[in-house]
Amino acid sequence: MPAEHLARFLSEHWGEPVSISGLKRFHGGSARQTYRFDAIGASGRREALVLRRDPPSSLIETDRLAEYRAIQCFAGSNVPVPEPIFCDEGPDSFGSPGFLMREVPGGAAAGLLEPEPYGEHAAAIGQQFFTALGRIHAADPARARLPAMASADAAAARLAHWKAAFDADAFRPEPLLDAAFRWLAANLPPPPEYISIVHGDYRSGNFLHDGAGTLLAVLDWEMVHPGDAHEDLAWACDPLWSNFSGRPAATLPLAEAIATWEAASGLTLNPESWRWWRLFAQVQGLVIWISAAREIIDGRSHDPVLMFAGTIPYRFHCVTLARALEALT
Amino acid sequence: MSLPLPALLTALANAQANEVAPALQLLGQPAAPDANYAGGTAATSALILMIAAAETAARPAREAACAAAARALIGGAADGRDSRAAALGALLAQGDNRALALLKAEAEAEWAVLAGLMLPPPVGIE
Repeated sequence: MPAEHLARFLSEHWGEPVSISGLKRFHGGSARQTYRFDAIGASGRREALVLRRDPPSSLIETDRLAEYRAIQCFAGSNVPVPEPIFCDEGPDSFGSPGFLMREVPGGAAAGLLEPEPYGEHAAAIGQQFFTALGRIHAADPARARLPAMASADAAAARLAHWKAAFDADAFRPEPLLDAAFRWLAANLPPPPEYISIVHGDYRSGNFLHDGAGTLLAVLDWEMVHPGDAHEDLAWACDPLWSNFSGRPAATLPLAEAIATWEAASGLTLNPESWRWWRLFAQVQGLVIWISAAREIIDGRSHDPVLMFAGTIPYRFHCVTLARALEALT
Repeated sequence: MSLPLPALLTALANAQANEVAPALQLLGQPAAPDANYAGGTAATSALILMIAAAETAARPAREAACAAAARALIGGAADGRDSRAAALGALLAQGDNRALALLKAEAEAEWAVLAGLMLPPPVGIE
């Protein structure tokens, strides 16, 4: 519990004694521990803040500085994000590496199994969701201080990343994944027009909305990297994030979602790339779910969230991947 | 499923003792910093318990059906999830789409166990 770390850190930064109240840890989000709290200075200064810090066992290994820089990159822009405040890559400030943001008031995130999470506002949310994605992809990756990447490497690098994770964490035969990896390696897509900022986990559930049709903030940038914009679009449109609606992110029909993204990004969907990245999205998902299961099996965690990842999403993606492979033959 | 049932049950037992029991104590203390987190932990754990129970009941029949369906193609390797998966994977690598059909049927049968938890089948996006 980081209250004492927070009080000490903020007292130093504000130059006055600071107390912490309303500290609350959010459930879910295995890559980070997330807390909200009110910081109250002796002078009466009061701010509602959010801390994201590393947990002892993470579903995915990520770089908190890259996440922080991505949020900084879009702060104050037409891509809604929380206001970033401070990042510490070490344990001194928050007990483990982490960063502070200003709280986005009045926001809620959709649950994976929640039917029609946006209700009558689904279309409005979808317009904002895919517009924001297009704007992210139109931005210069140098603004987020991401490393340079050659367009020709975009697909191969991501494939190698998730293949290495699979090889490290697989604990039993996974013939559907093996077949998918073979197909992806043998059918690399054309290079993207240019390298984009890829959010890496852009989907329903990873943004806040106000319940009345306004998208308040895009969250969970911990997997941000340079790459092909089709990667994010395919992940955002993966059936797992559709809440069983058949519509991307439980919002717009697919054609409208793509048109919205194209209008905002200035990019044109490449059908060949789209086919490749849609299959890749399911492969990425399955590797994440297997890695979660491996954490449990090896006794590094008994977090029910990781058990959930190793059961329901795993089975979902096994079904959809089998269907996708069948469609390729 | 990805998490083998024995491993899942062991982890659940640990979770009940180390995560859920403390969580339940916190549920009665809404001002405690981790009370909200505890509520989510308890709810997710309850869902996993239901999955484990459904899987325990369904697995023997599903396993027998999947083995019977695969036996004509891979013989004795059909018995047991991992040997069946390895044998079907080897055939799939050679382009045998009968192996893919069997793997798909097994994946759909695994998902069907979740129907008891009111989860509908995966819906494609086209």
